[in-house]
Amino acid sequence: MRMKILTLVSVVSMALICGLSSVTATSPRFYRDDPLLRDPEPQDAAGAALSELDLMYELTYNLFALSGRKPAGVRAQNVNTIDELPDSSWFTNRIGTRALTIDEIVRGPNLGAPPDPSRWVIVREKTSGAHPGITAKDANGDTWFLEFDPPYYPEAATAAVVMATKFFWAFGYNQVESFLTTFDPNRMEIHPEATFRRPNGKRTPIKRSDIEELLEHAARRPDGTYRVVAGRLIPGRIIGNFRYQGTRPDDPNDLVPHEHRRELRGLFVFGAWTNLTDFKANNTIDTVLTENGHAVVKHYLQDVGSTFGIANDRYQWDNGWEHFYQGGLVAKRLASFGFALSPWATTRFSEGPAIGKFEGDRFDPRTWKTHTPNAASIEMRDDDAFWAARRVAAFSDEMIRAIVHTGEFSDPAAEKTIADIMVKRRDKILRTYLPAVNPIVSPQFDGKRLTFDNAAVAADVARAPESYDASWFEYDNPTGDTRFLSDSTSATTTIDAPGGLPTREDSFIAVDLSASSKEHETWRKPIRTYFRRSADGWQLVGLERIPERGSVARASR
Amino acid sequence: MRLSGLFGLCTSIAFLIGAATTAVAQPPEPETRQSTIENTAAEKAQSLQPYEVTTAEKVIARIEKRFTNQTIKWHPYLESAYRGGGFAAGLGYMFHTSAYSTLDVRGSYSVNSYKLGEAEFISPRLFDRRGELTVLGGWRDATEVAFYGFGMNTSSGDRTNYGFEQPFGSALLTIRPTRRLFMVRGGFEAARWDLKSGKGTAPSVDEVFTPGSLPGLDTTTTFLHSQATVGVDWRAAHGYARRGGFYGVTGHDYTDRDDALGFRRVDYEVIQHIPILRETWVVSLHGLARTTYDKGDQAAPFYMLPSLGGGSSLRGFSSFRFTDRHSLLLQAEWRIMANRFFESAVFYDAGKVAARRSDLDLKHLKSDYGFGVRFHAPLVTVLRVDVARSNEGTRLVFAAAPVF
Repeated sequence: MRMKILTLVSVVSMALICGLSSVTATSPRFYRDDPLLRDPEPQDAAGAALSELDLMYELTYNLFALSGRKPAGVRAQNVNTIDELPDSSWFTNRIGTRALTIDEIVRGPNLGAPPDPSRWVIVREKTSGAHPGITAKDANGDTWFLEFDPPYYPEAATAAVVMATKFFWAFGYNQVESFLTTFDPNRMEIHPEATFRRPNGKRTPIKRSDIEELLEHAARRPDGTYRVVAGRLIPGRIIGNFRYQGTRPDDPNDLVPHEHRRELRGLFVFGAWTNLTDFKANNTIDTVLTENGHAVVKHYLQDVGSTFGIANDRYQWDNGWEHFYQGGLVAKRLASFGFALSPWATTRFSEGPAIGKFEGDRFDPRTWKTHTPNAASIEMRDDDAFWAARRVAAFSDEMIRAIVHTGEFSDPAAEKTIADIMVKRRDKILRTYLPAVNPIVSPQFDGKRLTFDNAAVAADVARAPESYDASWFEYDNPTGDTRFLSDSTSATTTIDAPGGLPTREDSFIAVDLSASSKEHETWRKPIRTYFRRSADGWQLVGLERIPERGSVARASR
Repeated sequence: MRLSGLFGLCTSIAFLIGAATTAVAQPPEPETRQSTIENTAAEKAQSLQPYEVTTAEKVIARIEKRFTNQTIKWHPYLESAYRGGGFAAGLGYMFHTSAYSTLDVRGSYSVNSYKLGEAEFISPRLFDRRGELTVLGGWRDATEVAFYGFGMNTSSGDRTNYGFEQPFGSALLTIRPTRRLFMVRGGFEAARWDLKSGKGTAPSVDEVFTPGSLPGLDTTTTFLHSQATVGVDWRAAHGYARRGGFYGVTGHDYTDRDDALGFRRVDYEVIQHIPILRETWVVSLHGLARTTYDKGDQAAPFYMLPSLGGGSSLRGFSSFRFTDRHSLLLQAEWRIMANRFFESAVFYDAGKVAARRSDLDLKHLKSDYGFGVRFHAPLVTVLRVDVARSNEGTRLVFAAAPVF
């Protein structure tokens, strides 16, 4: 009797535990479709509506509200389980993940035909950008945004747009198709419904004198024509800009706060390389497109023209060196009567009408500055910077020179100068960010040997470490439990596996990989890799370079 | 038997509770990463909302829209009716009369009871953007304008005050034949000076001087003023510049309808901004000489003679501190660029007035020095605050314009 009661209690208890345990069960670390290579965007975003962030508000907020913000130190939230970015409506893996040919890079985002400049019909004024411009239809009836060079920098501004769109396309960002072409005022017409917003706030028809006034601020060729860069109208329904923090509340597929998107964090590294100083929502565009039968929002870095030597206008030197406002610098200058010189005051720039002013000798990738602080840049960690630097490393000298050549400079010396500076700045980026974290990449395991690369050594910015060390674990995916198996070490990037690894299909191992280098203490911090055994052998399913709340790339921010 | 029945019942209930709890508390565990993301997106799709613009964003956007579109209608107006009026507060209403032309109706009242009401019409794009016309008309009342006597040897204790009321109207046309660099300007003005006793703590001018010793005292005179300027100007804007300069000569003719107080005057002005080390510093230099010429046997009225002192000339001295037939003002500023929108400056002003043109030399200049800060936009000085020190004390200057 007593025994039966005990049995009853036990069974009831077990049953309750069984039921409740399924309530508290945690998700496995790896799903069977990990690592994800493409972000799903399953929901229809047709309801996303026009929303534009006010420029002054953004500047004010970034300069004064963000200036004291401390990075949260959290890992980028849109990376897949192997610490890479899935393709998405924001980003497409290109350089660094697949072999790009020179031809592909030179073509960049330009998939369609260039404009036919034999006739331009002006349809609208240009509403953004630093340099003179206009919206016009070409002889084929396609709409283009035309941007001119200022008279004092003929070629520099238009070349910057063309080159930058190719660099940023290769990085993986959505870019506007941009072509260098010609604008001949004698072959220009004004659409009867084209209007211009006057200072009194009213729109009145554009007159020829309006265009003449605009052209006074543009570099004119001896034959009376103008060199322009033509940006194709972005397809889809434009719904304003994306912001560098938070998510679009009207886009169901926008799930990761933008400041925690790796491609927006890593933009700081790409920006530093290309001198893209003008990060702002107003230079981005969100557009609604139909893909796979439903509406999705696609995100463009729309204006990447403030780059290279044109990031500073004729009488500007500080862009890239300091924010528009930095209280500490202001105080320092005031207290020293200006004698606390900023680097830009004495840096020797390469200057020229086709270059603007550009340099690579004093360029410091970590202290380089955008116009204003930026939430995504602030949140950038060393693993984000490393990710971006690997893409920068994938640009060969030949690729860089090929892209710069698309700027169609009339002075070969100017072209060479810009390319040389880009090479110099690339090398600084690599020296700064590749060795800053454990640079082990591309681990592969064939069941007997673990092989990998060292990105810093491969880029020739660090010496090979004395040894590589591996700690092997059996990993239980449902529970996250690990069981230590063995340590092994190697002087090369190949490490033999210990015995006793699980053999059944769908089993997991974890391997901590570190390097012993006297020069790079950070390399001793292991990256953790995970492999799953499948019918085809062991596959990499997980990589964590820096755990949550790791270091941030720029302590000074 | 009964116990085993109870056992079975309890067991069943327990399993049911467990199963039910599982079913209610937890949806089926996703099997793929894709499905976890899809679930999250589906959840967000249930609560979509448009961007909510914050109050701060609305306010800043509204201000920006007004400034960038130049469609500010009601605006503060802080200019005093006349120099020396002290801090003034007022209001203006500006509107466009055409795509580019504006009419601004405004008024102000100062701490010294100076009153101003005027309307200004500006048409900035005449003659295919080569000309700008300014038409100004209004009325002002100045109650305690300072007069210390003629020459450099007066003391601050010599101050007397006079007042005047004045209806005025003028038109000024500036032409830039090539749209830049070279400029000519011409204009006409009609203004009636109705002098009256001064108010304030200093004695009224008519208590100290007589009409015989002070031409223009106790008179009401209507002047027709014509002027012409020739100059070169390669500053980015006269409201704010870090490089470039202005070199110009202006001739004035003041005709008194009664042929008693007419005179002529010539102003020679030089402004040069010299950027140093990529505009880390800017040395700004200003020279202004004014010389008065008699018109027959007419005598130039004391209140229209060149004077020095005040927030835009000798900043360490009070307004109208030195008056005579000729004046020379030399100013130098060493401007320190703190950032793009803010700068400080160390300055030195020197100047003199003289009865004879030949005395306009560099001897016995009155001088001051000081420190200032300025907030500015690329082409406009928004606020200038200067602290100037002279042998007559320390003065604080607030202005919404550059000193030169």
